[in-house]
Amino acid sequence: MARSVSKGPFVDAYLLKKAEKSRASGRNEVIKTWSRRSTILPQFVGLNFGVYNGQKFIPVLVTENMVGHKFGEFSPTRQYFGHTADRKAKRD
Amino acid sequence: MSEGMSDGTRICVGVIGAPHGVRGEVRLKSFTADPEDIVAYGQLTDETGNRQFALTLTGWAKGMLVARIKGVGDRSTAEALKGTELYVDRALLPELEEEEYYHADLIGLEVEDVEGRPQGKVKTLDNFGAGDVMEVELTDGTSLVVPFTRRAVPEIDLEGGRVVIDPPQEIEGEFEAESEEDGGATDREGRG
Repeated sequence: MARSVSKGPFVDAYLLKKAEKSRASGRNEVIKTWSRRSTILPQFVGLNFGVYNGQKFIPVLVTENMVGHKFGEFSPTRQYFGHTADRKAKRD
Repeated sequence: MSEGMSDGTRICVGVIGAPHGVRGEVRLKSFTADPEDIVAYGQLTDETGNRQFALTLTGWAKGMLVARIKGVGDRSTAEALKGTELYVDRALLPELEEEEYYHADLIGLEVEDVEGRPQGKVKTLDNFGAGDVMEVELTDGTSLVVPFTRRAVPEIDLEGGRVVIDPPQEIEGEFEAESEEDGGATDREGRG
């Protein structure tokens, strides 16, 4: 049986408290975190996190389909020099 | 000009690589999102814009596209073209939807805060799976990554060459000390 099934998903307790406080405040703020290992929980949906990648904090706006993944998955630690010729970005 | 960068009117979409075979085919390094789109935007030219290339894609080799260039029939002619950057007119790229921007149009723009104070320049745009983010190279040499949203990037003035950012307030570290008292990491039910 996988760990997450037997023990529940792992998340650093302080991150959960930060998220609760941020949600209660209702402000648009980024929760800076070093906890790349924490699982994204349903109560994080809609919150903005800044996930440290060893150099900087990468903004991560949590959406429903990220639940169950780890924060670190959305903040790569290696520089990727991609090609930009016809790449587009959409402002949400 | 570096790869994928725009001089305003033309955009670099690829580079001609080594010859492939003896019949004048060449390998192509494509900078487009879909590599095969390198031939989808019309006439390709060299950096000066004087020489035009008509390419026909013939396949893949060693992870690179292979193409035949009209008028190039032997290996030595193909060899002479190695390293040539290929450009298309910016106007030939497809129309964008509302709130969509080409990376090439944004990279290098001046960045200001909401009060008009210069902050730096747009370094790059990325998407790591959690929405588009914009990296700003600040005037002090450090970098700042902001979400590419209307709230964090309220104004984009392509004609004026500037972007206004309003980074969200950050909260940090408040509970780190508390977590150590709690015994460090724990799971959500507090069973850790």
